[in-house]
Amino acid sequence: MNAMTATRPRLDAPPPPRPAEGKPLLELKGICKTFPGVKALDDVSFAVWPGEVHMLLGENGAGKSSLMKVLCGAYQADAGEYLHKGETVEIRNPADARKLGIAVIFQEFSLVPYLDVAQNIFLGREFPSRIPGLIDRRRLYREARAVLDLIGLDIDPRTKVHTLGVAQQQMVEIGKALSQDARILVMDEPTAALSDRETERLFAVMRQLQAKGVAIVYISHRMAEVFALGDRITVLRDGKLVGRAQPDETTPDALVRMMVGRNVDMSYPRNFTEQPGEIALEVKGLSAKNGIRDIDLTVRAGEIVGLCGLVGSGRSEVARAVFGADEITAGEVRVFGKPKRGGPDASVLADIGLIPESRKTEGLALIRTVGDNLAVAGLPKLFPDKLFSPGRARRAAEDLIARLRIATPSSNQSVGLLSGGNQQKVVIGKWLAAGTRLFIFDEPTRGIDVGAKSEIFALIDQLVAEGAAVLMISSEQAEIVHVCDRAYVMRGKRIVGELSRAELSEENIVRMGMHDE
Amino acid sequence: MSDQAVSSPAPRILAIPGVSVALIGLSLLFAVASPGFLTSGNLSNVLVQSVILLLLALPMTLIIMTEGLDLSMGAVLTLASLVLALIVVSTQSLALALLGALGVGLVFGLVNGWLIAGLSIPPFVATLGTLGAAQGLALVVSDGQSVVGIPRFVRLIYSGETFGIPTPILIGAGFYALFHILLYHTRFGTYVCALGGNRDALTLAGVAWKRLLVAVYMLGGAMAGVAALLMTARINAGHPTAAIGMEFDAIAAVALGGTSFEKGNGWLLGTLLGVLTVGVLRNGLNLMAVPSSVQVACIGALVIAALLIDSLRSTRP
Repeated sequence: MNAMTATRPRLDAPPPPRPAEGKPLLELKGICKTFPGVKALDDVSFAVWPGEVHMLLGENGAGKSSLMKVLCGAYQADAGEYLHKGETVEIRNPADARKLGIAVIFQEFSLVPYLDVAQNIFLGREFPSRIPGLIDRRRLYREARAVLDLIGLDIDPRTKVHTLGVAQQQMVEIGKALSQDARILVMDEPTAALSDRETERLFAVMRQLQAKGVAIVYISHRMAEVFALGDRITVLRDGKLVGRAQPDETTPDALVRMMVGRNVDMSYPRNFTEQPGEIALEVKGLSAKNGIRDIDLTVRAGEIVGLCGLVGSGRSEVARAVFGADEITAGEVRVFGKPKRGGPDASVLADIGLIPESRKTEGLALIRTVGDNLAVAGLPKLFPDKLFSPGRARRAAEDLIARLRIATPSSNQSVGLLSGGNQQKVVIGKWLAAGTRLFIFDEPTRGIDVGAKSEIFALIDQLVAEGAAVLMISSEQAEIVHVCDRAYVMRGKRIVGELSRAELSEENIVRMGMHDE
Repeated sequence: MSDQAVSSPAPRILAIPGVSVALIGLSLLFAVASPGFLTSGNLSNVLVQSVILLLLALPMTLIIMTEGLDLSMGAVLTLASLVLALIVVSTQSLALALLGALGVGLVFGLVNGWLIAGLSIPPFVATLGTLGAAQGLALVVSDGQSVVGIPRFVRLIYSGETFGIPTPILIGAGFYALFHILLYHTRFGTYVCALGGNRDALTLAGVAWKRLLVAVYMLGGAMAGVAALLMTARINAGHPTAAIGMEFDAIAAVALGGTSFEKGNGWLLGTLLGVLTVGVLRNGLNLMAVPSSVQVACIGALVIAALLIDSLRSTRP
C-alpha cells in the first residue's frame, strides 16, 4: 500500500505547474446530463488552459467518461455552457468538436480492423490525388510514416490493424489523434494497455505537445501518473464535481478521500453471522481464455464474499469462468467439495447460479413471461421426468412470486414490463427454482432504484441466512463494505489482495485496486 | 467488459488457397472427366458466361463488406431486363432502354438502402421484401410472357467481338478494374470497409455513413441494370424468370472468394476467382450433362464449405 505515495514513473523532471493565466482554451460550465434513471453529470464545470495536463479522477461511474463525451460532442449536455476561448459555441456532434481542434483517444478503439494503419490514422481526412476522386496513396503512407515516427511506433503503415496487438492498436489510436493537429487532446486511460517503454514514449510525446501549447485532458487510475504528469487535478464523484487540486498541494490519500467521499444515505440490511459453514466454492489457480490469471478464492456457506476492483480488472471474467461461460485454461473449481467441469449446464446441475451484469440480455428473456423466466433454469429439477406440466410450472412460479414479493399482476406478465428491481428478483427466483446454493451476483443493483436496492440486499441476506453462499461483484464500493463478510480486490485480471471484515473500507478497496507496481 | 478490437492473426493467407484450390481442382477434374472442357473455345465460353455473374458479384462484395446482403439482385436484374427489352423493342433506342434498366436498378437500390440505413431494417429482411416486389413487378410488366424481337445490335453486345476479344469479357474486365479502383483507391472504398468494420469510427471521423450505405445498395442496383443488358442480349428476349435466384450464385461467389460476412473483411480478386469457380463448376457439370438442379446443390455445397472456412477463421483466438 505504500507504493501509493512512493515512486513516480521514470520520467524527465516534471514541468513546473502552470498558473491558470488568461482565458481557458476550453471551458464547460454547469454541465448536466441525465440518462433514464441516472444523473450522469450534475452541474459540472471544467476548464483547460493551453499547455497543461489536466488530470480527471473519479471512481467507476463518477461521470468522467460522460464528461469527456460531452466535451468531444458524442453526448449533448441537457444544460450548461460550452465555451471555446471564452466564446460560447454549440457542439452538436464529434465533427463540430474536431473543428475546434479537440481529439479524443477512447478506451474502446475507433479503429477499422481490415483497413491498414495509414487508412485508419487518416480516416475521414484522406488526401485527394491529382486525379479527381482518388486518394493520394503515396502521400497517405508518407504522412502516416511521419506520424508513426513521432510516436516511435516501428511498424509498416500498410499493416492491417487487426493483425496488431492491443498495445500497438492503442498507439495507432494515439497517432490518429495526434495527426489531427489537436489543440485539445483527451486521453482516457491511454496507458492501460501499454508496456513501460511505450508508456515512456507516450509521455515524451505528451511533453512535446505541451510545449507546443496543446492542452491535454487525461483520465487515469494510476496515482503515479497523476502526480508525475498533472498540472491540475479535477475529481468527480457520482456525477458531481467534488474537488480541484494541484499536484504539489495535495497527496494521493487526500485524492482518494475525495474520490470516495461520504457514503450515500442508504440502508444495507445484513445480519452478520460469526461462523460460516462448509466451503461452497473453492477456486485454485484458475486461468481462463478471457484473460484472468491464477485466481484463488473461497466462499463458504452463509458468507457473502465481495469481488471488487476497477472496471476491466477482470471481476466479471472470474464470474464467467467459474460459471463455465468462458473457457478455462488452467486451475480448478470445486463446488461443495466436488470438482466442477464443463459449461453453464454443468454449473446449474452443481447448484451454481449466475445473476449476470446485463440483466436484460443475459439474465432474462425479456419478451417471455415471468413464469417462463422463473422456470427456465429449474426445468430439470421441476420436471425430473422430462415432461413439462404447465400447471406445475405455474404453481412453482406463483410460490416464488409470493416468496420474493415480486410485483407483477400475474405469472403471465412479460418480464420486460417489470421494474428493474422486480426483474432482478425474477433472475434470483429462477435460481431458487433450480435449487441453487451458490449464487454469483454480478452488479446486483445496477439500474435499480434505491428503495429496491435495499430489498435486493435483504433478499441476499435471507439467502445466506438460509445457508447459501454468495460471491458478489460490485462497482459500488459502499455495497461491498456494508454487505460483505470479506472481499477480494482485483487488478489487471488478477486478485491482488483480500480484505477481512475489519479491513473493509472504501479507501482500502480503492487503494488496492489502483496502486501501481 | 467490452470486447475490444480483434487481434486475430492474418487469415488471408488461408483464404487465397481456398478459392484457388477450388478453381484449379475443379478445372483439373473437368479436364479429365470431360474432353470438351479444356478447349480454347470452351474456356472462352466459361469467361463469357461468367461476366453477368461478375457484374452482380462485384457490388455484392461491397455490400457484404458493409455486413449487409442484397437478395433482390436477381429479381431486380430480371425486372430491369424486361423493362430494357420492352423499351428497345418499341423505340429501337439502346440508350433509352439502358437508361430504363439503370433506372429500375437505382430505384430498387435506393429503396433497399433507405430501408436498411434509414429504417434500420435488417438487410436480409429488407432485400427479401424488395425481391418479392421486383419479382411481382416483373410478372406484371411482362404479363407472364417473354418479350421477343430484340434487335440484332443488342444481341451483338453479348455475342460480338471487339478488338478480336468477345465483348462481354471486355465489359467484365472493365468493370472489375473500375471496382478495384473504387474499393482500393477512393474514399468511398475505404468507407465501405469501415462500414462493416467499425461504424463508430466513421461517426467519430465525421463521415455521414447512412448516405454512404444507401449509395452502396444503389451501386448494386445499377450493376443489376448493367447486367440486365447482357442478360437480354444473351437470351435474346426479356423473360420474367430470366435471372431469378441469381443472387444465390453471386453471394456464393463472394463467399467462396474469402470475403467475410463480418468486420468489413473483403477481397475483390477473391470474388473474381469465386465467380470463375462457379462458372467452371456450372460449365463442367453442363458438359457432363448434369441437370441444373444438381448444379445448384453442388454450388450450395461449395458455399457451405467456404462459410465453414470463414467461421473457422473468425473463431480462431
